[in-house]
Amino acid sequence: MKPERNLIRCWAGRWNLALLLAVLVWVTTACPGRATTNDLFAQGLEFSRAGRFPEAAEIFQKLAKAQPAAGTLVNLGLAEWQCGHAGAAILAWEQARWIDPFDGRAAANLKFAREVAQVDEPQLKWYEAVSTWLSPNAWAWLGASMLWLTVGLLVLPGILRWRKAGWHQLLAALAFGVFLLCLTADFGVAGRSQIGIVLKKNAALQLTPTQDGEVVSTLAAGEPARPLRVHGRFAYVRTANGAGWIDQDALGLLCPR
Amino acid sequence: MKVASHFNFTPAHRLPPGFDAFRLRVWAFGLRLLVVGSLGCALSARAQTPPHLPPGGLMQLQVPQGIVDVSSPVSAAAVFDPPVAHVGDRVFYRVTVDATESSVTWPDAFPTPAELGFGAQASGQITQTQGARYRPLASFVYEVKPRAEGRFTVTNFTVEVSGVRLAVPSASLDVAPKSTATVAARRLRLDIPQTKVFVGQSFPVRVILPTGPDNELEALREIELHGDGLMVDRTASHQSIEPVNLDGQLRMAFTAELNVVALAAGPLKFTSQGFTAGREFMAPISIRGQVRFPSGPTKYILLVSEAAELSVRPLPEEGQPASFTGAIGRFFNDPPRLSTNRVQVGEPLQLKVTFHGEGDFCRFVPPAAPLSRDWQIIADPPPATSFTLVPLADDLRATPAIPFSYFDPDLGKYEDLTIAPQPVTVLGQGLPLAVAAAEEPGKTVAPLKLSALAQAPGGALAGLRPLQLRGWFAGLQLVPLAGFIALWQWDRRRRFLAAHPDLVRRARARRELRRARRQLQAALDAGDAAAFVQCAARAMAIAAAPHFPAEATALVGGDVLAQLDAAGQDGPYAETVRQVFAAADAAFAVAPQVQTDWLTWRPGVEAVLEKLEERL
Repeated sequence: MKPERNLIRCWAGRWNLALLLAVLVWVTTACPGRATTNDLFAQGLEFSRAGRFPEAAEIFQKLAKAQPAAGTLVNLGLAEWQCGHAGAAILAWEQARWIDPFDGRAAANLKFAREVAQVDEPQLKWYEAVSTWLSPNAWAWLGASMLWLTVGLLVLPGILRWRKAGWHQLLAALAFGVFLLCLTADFGVAGRSQIGIVLKKNAALQLTPTQDGEVVSTLAAGEPARPLRVHGRFAYVRTANGAGWIDQDALGLLCPR
Repeated sequence: MKVASHFNFTPAHRLPPGFDAFRLRVWAFGLRLLVVGSLGCALSARAQTPPHLPPGGLMQLQVPQGIVDVSSPVSAAAVFDPPVAHVGDRVFYRVTVDATESSVTWPDAFPTPAELGFGAQASGQITQTQGARYRPLASFVYEVKPRAEGRFTVTNFTVEVSGVRLAVPSASLDVAPKSTATVAARRLRLDIPQTKVFVGQSFPVRVILPTGPDNELEALREIELHGDGLMVDRTASHQSIEPVNLDGQLRMAFTAELNVVALAAGPLKFTSQGFTAGREFMAPISIRGQVRFPSGPTKYILLVSEAAELSVRPLPEEGQPASFTGAIGRFFNDPPRLSTNRVQVGEPLQLKVTFHGEGDFCRFVPPAAPLSRDWQIIADPPPATSFTLVPLADDLRATPAIPFSYFDPDLGKYEDLTIAPQPVTVLGQGLPLAVAAAEEPGKTVAPLKLSALAQAPGGALAGLRPLQLRGWFAGLQLVPLAGFIALWQWDRRRRFLAAHPDLVRRARARRELRRARRQLQAALDAGDAAAFVQCAARAMAIAAAPHFPAEATALVGGDVLAQLDAAGQDGPYAETVRQVFAAADAAFAVAPQVQTDWLTWRPGVEAVLEKLEERL
């Protein structure tokens, strides 16, 4: 028995060492990064309070690119709005709502901005509307959990020789139902991730994807558009005002590729 | 008409030196236009303000200018330079006329001795200074190469000067034998540091007039280069007197450096000419070294040089960038400077770029303004190398790149010198921060306004791309799937073993046998004979137990023997089994006796164990 105990102690020691190393790695990597993020966020706040909105927008933009968060995007939208960039502000607030659908500031700002800029909300299909109830990642985790809960409830009693109970079946059916809802929402999330927002004022909607293509109409900054396909630096988009080609630089995607 | 005739040029009018008849006519025509225009203005204007003259301007008008003498009788002279030469020497036949070159109608042919090979002709004109008067002087020079000895004379002949016939006197050349000392004719030298250039490239050409006898040096005026496909840039010439290496000897010389631009590709030939002008230096000149200037009246002699050859290559068409504006040389630019880095949409800003380098900056064409949807770009008029930029959109972060390239003749390729984009902040038109909500009857609605700043970033994500669209999330679903598959396999195995208990017993016996063998080895190593036989007996019992099935501790030697095959039951294997079990049983005696030779049974024990293990 002694050698076995030694073996166990040895393995336990190794696990402790690995755990210690993992903690050390986390302390040395995650914490400074978080500190830098917080510093940048504080700096952006200072710039915003001082009225230096272009600098604030630049910092929040950088921050949102590295670690997108609802608060960062709300502030980015405010800074862009102050700089006169209505399209960029609406995109930032839409992204804030994408991350956190319950963020009231982003929702209020979007309502305000659309009122001022006279632009519509994106037209959502029913399953896309369902997907707005939770954040995309929440749908993903919930769907996966429900799927495996269903499978587990159906499979495990047999394997583990549990007595089959009615609540097993009931819970499995319920989980499967939620999974189907999540699956629908996931389709909605995939659809919403394609939504774009026009960034430039009076962006040209062209008939052809060429430099001197005929302009069908112009789009206001903040107008939603769904890119359907891409040709060179142009994207074919469908908007409430019609379809056409737009310079990709003039379009910001809710979920950048 | 009266006014115009009043301004006709007469010898009494004062003009600066260097004007020929053509220029006089052009100037007179221009003056007529000026006078007519001025009169028109005076008639139409109600009041006229006095002209603003620069300081000293009136004084300058009052200073008497020299008179151009075109009324004195015209004379001609002809000489051979030098008057005595050998056969094959280069001699110049020079005719000078006191008139403008354009007024002289030079005959296509005139009588020349056949022994004198008349070659290339050159002509030029200079304004000679005669006290307070100026007089034009035209010179016609032929290069002559005598072919025979003797005295040869070019007889007098006539030319027309402004429609009047003028006799050119005769001139003689003595072609002496080689033994006679002669003086070489004076001529100019051409020095071209680069003989291989590209079309459009500017390169220096030095016209050199070496000192004459007694280290006497004269100025050179009206310097010209003759040759097709060349353009002389007179704005960039300068003159000096300095020692020059001529035929391996340092000699003082008057040097005029001209900037020449090649205009046509191919082999080019050109010559230079100029008038000696005594002490009349017409431009700033730098002097290094000691020379003597001639005294007495200035002798204006038209000198020519030998032809120089130049190879002009065309610029390579392959790889010629669209941003190439014709700049040839080696250039670099300072970092661009913006007048401001924060502008409103539609507000102009200035982008200044300074170029340096080796090359012809007189012909430097600055980069052209590129077309941009987001910027209105206006290039400032050359030679300025700055641009006025007007942002047309409010989401711009940098100025546009302004492409530019030049051709490096040393490397023989085009080099990129694009003006890099400069970071700039473009502010859009101000957007409202609050709006009044539409008032509905019976309802008070608070005005819509923007929210306050978020004080914390909140929960951050790795990216905006949802998990559903990430590959690793789909891969993660394989983990529970693998878990369920493992559970299912485990259940299958468990059911199988439940149906086949003998497999479980054999596996357990193999495990216990391995452990018993390790203990056996430990007893051997320790030299413990009693432990050795106990372990050996137990190991044999373990190996035989699954076949009954029975507990190993319940088996005796006979049971083990029963598991050996027929050959084993009578051979040494059986003997070993008996001995081991007998010795093990002896340990339970009242006074057990341990014999050390038990340890020598090890090979037999190993053989029995292997035999038994084969059946497990």
